[in-house]
Amino acid sequence: MSDAASLRLDQLPWDVRRGSQAIGWFILTEAMLFVAMFFSYFYLARNAATWPPDAPPKLPLALLMLVILLSSSATLEKAKWHLRRHAETAARWWVAGTILLGIVFLGVQVLEYRDHLRSLRPTSDAYGSIFYTITTIHGLHVVLGLLMLLFVLALPRLEPRTRLPYHPFHNASLYWHFVDAVWVLIVFCLYLLPRLRLG
Amino acid sequence: MTSAATAARLTRIWEAPHTLWGSLTTVDHKTVGKRYLVTAMIFLLLGGIEALVLRAQLTSPEARLLGPEVYNQIFTMHGVTMIFWYAAPILSGFSNYLVPLLIGARDTALPRANAFSYWVFLFSGLFLYASLLIGQAPHAGWFAYTPYTLKRFSPGLNMDFYALALIFLTISQTVGSINFLVTIFRMRAPGMSVNRMPLLLYSTSTMSVLSVLALPSLTLACLCLELDRNYGTHFFDSAGGGEPLLWQHLFWFFGHPWVYIIFLPATGMISMLLPVFARRPIVGYAYVAVATVLTGVVGLGVWVHHMFAVGMSQVSMSVFSAASITISLFTTIQVFAWVATLWTGRPVMTTSLRFALGFIGLIVIGGLSGVVTALIPFDWQLTDTYFIVAHIHYVLIGANLFPVMAAFYYWMPKMTGRMMNEAMGRWSFWLMFIGFNVGFFPMHFLGLAGMPRRIYTYPSAMQWGDMNLAVTVGAVLLAIGLLVSIVNFIVSRKSGEPAGSNPWNADTLEWDVSSPPPVYGSVHIPTVASRHPLWDEHDEEHDPNDERVLERGRLTLATTALDAVPVAVARMAEDTVMPLALTLALTAFFTAVLLKALWLVAGLAGVIALCVAGWLWPKIEKVAS
Repeated sequence: MSDAASLRLDQLPWDVRRGSQAIGWFILTEAMLFVAMFFSYFYLARNAATWPPDAPPKLPLALLMLVILLSSSATLEKAKWHLRRHAETAARWWVAGTILLGIVFLGVQVLEYRDHLRSLRPTSDAYGSIFYTITTIHGLHVVLGLLMLLFVLALPRLEPRTRLPYHPFHNASLYWHFVDAVWVLIVFCLYLLPRLRLG
Repeated sequence: MTSAATAARLTRIWEAPHTLWGSLTTVDHKTVGKRYLVTAMIFLLLGGIEALVLRAQLTSPEARLLGPEVYNQIFTMHGVTMIFWYAAPILSGFSNYLVPLLIGARDTALPRANAFSYWVFLFSGLFLYASLLIGQAPHAGWFAYTPYTLKRFSPGLNMDFYALALIFLTISQTVGSINFLVTIFRMRAPGMSVNRMPLLLYSTSTMSVLSVLALPSLTLACLCLELDRNYGTHFFDSAGGGEPLLWQHLFWFFGHPWVYIIFLPATGMISMLLPVFARRPIVGYAYVAVATVLTGVVGLGVWVHHMFAVGMSQVSMSVFSAASITISLFTTIQVFAWVATLWTGRPVMTTSLRFALGFIGLIVIGGLSGVVTALIPFDWQLTDTYFIVAHIHYVLIGANLFPVMAAFYYWMPKMTGRMMNEAMGRWSFWLMFIGFNVGFFPMHFLGLAGMPRRIYTYPSAMQWGDMNLAVTVGAVLLAIGLLVSIVNFIVSRKSGEPAGSNPWNADTLEWDVSSPPPVYGSVHIPTVASRHPLWDEHDEEHDPNDERVLERGRLTLATTALDAVPVAVARMAEDTVMPLALTLALTAFFTAVLLKALWLVAGLAGVIALCVAGWLWPKIEKVAS
């Protein structure tokens, strides 16, 4: 290659893309897990006389959780915005706020489950099984996202660009946005759609 | 700096210490690749022994060597071992060893993840085989249809081992695939644009994308099976509103892409070695590359053809039937490209080429028996008979084991620095080829005569005894042929003729380095100016100012995905014990899940999180700037 000789390789930056590419593929495989679960949900629905068997799940808490998660994505982007202006301390506060919102989300999910379990259990029927499986696995993904953010917060610096072979903060935020997007789909498919059908 | 001093310095940087600790912590892709190959071969031998035990039982009617339960466990272990712990990992082994050398990188993009994928492969296999030791091996066939696998019909730990071992293994395959994808899209030598990539890179990346997309479906199926069996949910249990067919959809949405996962990299290896022995570039490079990718794309949409017998709407069955017939087109393109390459080249006959030719013959037979079973009425007649057993073995042994043997004879000189013995290779090939056809061709007739698969014995009145005897004789010949090659390998490894760096006069970069390759690959990161780097005028390692030596640490080049223009210097991971530690934690975790020790499960999940955090924790002070 003729231009290889003219390249100053010692002036190239450190590579930081491999980690982001890897997390991209990881998110894709996780997304396929949810695709398989939504497929199962609709496949089981097709065979049921009424779906859900009782009343559709209640909306208010799910919507509250949606608001919490969406705002947590916004606070995370705010942290990035501060970081781009090299305001490390402010960025850390916004990450901490994001983590707090994630924990509140999990708390509300516990409340939602306590209410819901009175009328429906995972062992009641196929609907209960798939409903609790989807929401619990999503909850575990929120936990995983929180662990990533905690790891990032524990790092000596949020974005040590020139030092690390990957962008921990950027990668964790990609995963967090993915977890949020999945909750939007869950609210739509599991909470809203049954109501639309009932009219 | 003189080149000897440079090489010594690079060796110091990249070499793992020759101690037990060094071998447990190394992340070198060549070591990982060789471990993959040896471990997968051991699983092949285990699965082969199981097959011979089955044949001993079926040789004559009314045999009582094995009872039905033991027979069920052994045929299930045979299938599960061969399909999950041999066929895909052996290809991962070749790709692990070869991909960085093929692209001139010093290691894969994520070396620690690579080591981790091997350890998980090994320990998930040990986890599976623990079930055989306690006499509770999986016993419902490799696709484990519900409702037979629910607690009511299978109360032991058998199917729990199956579900958990498979979830465990998917971690290995997923991590390995992501590593291949990032490596191929980010680490290719400067100048190796997509239209110059060796074809093995096309098949490895297609295989990896299929793994990323299809494996979650298997994970979910196994998870739901565990929940149904042990925690009272109703996914597959029609009494509770569940649907047994859901298992089949989830399993085959994964299962059919898996067929291509264990097939495509093998075709990639054939497309590498066959042109070398034909002494010309492959005919229709672009067609073969595109056919490989399209096989993957269409392969995601044909899973229902495993389920034509369950009763579905005409339209959906027709669509899936059409897709299944379409997919044979792409394989046909590759077959014609290989035949044309041989036809227009000046072939040199070697053991490796013999196995490649055997593969082409067998894949045509296996492909044809596949095309006819894509026709729905034919499938209704023959599903669950020995016709399907014949088909699956023609495509799996024909399209996986024979290419793997061809690849062993082709690349072993590179890995060991010694040539394999050609005379023994010839014996091995003919024994395997004749044994295989004697063994598996009669199965077509047994299927047409109505012999169902998975029966542990049959009455003599059915008159299946003679052909079953032939099958057993063939299986024994096949096994002897394989053993000849294994002996050949063990002998040649120490006392074969020295291979030199390029014994076959091949065209791709792995033959540019000495055999066995130095731990760092090539001294200067090579640049590539054509599709056949070693057949052109360009000097890959031309680097008068030592710019591409990168000897300030474990470094290699990162390049753009399409044009392979260098854009960054990639710092590579040091040796670390974290991949092994994480694997051990995962093994304990899956054992705790198996024993339903839920507090232990929660505790071990914490340990796993700490291992991951320790793995990713940056060692900033160590960085040379």
